[in-house]
Amino acid sequence: MKVLLVDDSGTMRTIQKRCLSKLGIEDVTEAEDGVQALERFEAGTFDIVLSDWNMPNMDGLQLLKEIRQRNKDIPVIMITTEAERARVVTAIQAGVSDYLVKPFTPDSLKSKLERWVTSNA
Amino acid sequence: MTSTTTGKSELTAEFVNPIIGSTISVFEMMLGCTPKRTGLSLKADHIPEHELSAVIGISGKAAGTLVLSLSKSVGIGILDRLVGISSDEINDEVCDAVCELANMIAGSAKAQLEHLEASISIPNIITGKGHTVHYPSNVSPICIAFDSEIGTFTIEAGFSDR
Repeated sequence: MKVLLVDDSGTMRTIQKRCLSKLGIEDVTEAEDGVQALERFEAGTFDIVLSDWNMPNMDGLQLLKEIRQRNKDIPVIMITTEAERARVVTAIQAGVSDYLVKPFTPDSLKSKLERWVTSNA
Repeated sequence: MTSTTTGKSELTAEFVNPIIGSTISVFEMMLGCTPKRTGLSLKADHIPEHELSAVIGISGKAAGTLVLSLSKSVGIGILDRLVGISSDEINDEVCDAVCELANMIAGSAKAQLEHLEASISIPNIITGKGHTVHYPSNVSPICIAFDSEIGTFTIEAGFSDR
C-alpha cells in the first residue's frame, strides 16, 4: 500500500502518518502542496491519495482535477476544513472518493483510513 | 486592551456563536481538552491579547480577519497535545500546530455560516508583544476569551460586508 499524503501542515501530516502506521501502512510519500504532490504523483505509483484542500501554489481541488485527468480510479480522500455542502458537492463533481472534515477525532480518522487502505490493500 | 463600549458590527456578532462552538469543538477533538469561555468584549485597538497570533483572512460576502491569540506556553502545549512533541521554544513546529488549529477553528465556523460563501486564507503567524493585526476599516473586533487546561487564549475577529 503506497500512500501520497498531501497537506501544507507538517503537524497534520504527522497525525495522519501515525494513524496510517497503526494500520500497518509505512510507505507514505509526503507533499506540502498540490504542485509538489502532482510532481510526486507523476513520478511514482500510488494506491491512494490523501489530500488537504486549502494549500499554497495549488489547492487540493485543483490537484484532484489534475489527478483525475491522469487516473480515474485511484482513491482520493479529501481531509479538509471545507465542510460546506457546496464545497463537498464541488469535490464530488471533481471526482473525490471520500471526504473527512477537520477537526476529527482519532477514531474517525482511523475508521475512514481503515476503510480505504483495507479495501485497497 | 479591551472595551465594551465601542460600536458593534452586526456581521461580526453573527460570527460569535459559530466561533465559540468551533473553538470548543476543535479543542475537544484535536487536543482532548474543553476550553471554557471566560469573556466576550469589543476591542478598542487591533493589538492581540497575547504574544503569538495565528492570523486568517476571510473573504466572500463577508471580509475580515480571525486571530487565535495565545502565549508561548499555550502554543507549546498545543504542539504537545496534537502530536506529542515537546518544545521549550516557539519554533516552526509550534507555529505550524497553532496555524493548523486556527485553520480548523475558522473553517468550522465558516461552515456554520454557509450563506456568506466565505473562503479562508492560509494562516500566518505573528509573534512579539504589542504587534498589531489588520482588520477592515471601521470594524471593532470582538475578543472571546477562553481558559483551558493548557492556559488562557483569545479568539479575536472582525468582519465587514462586501
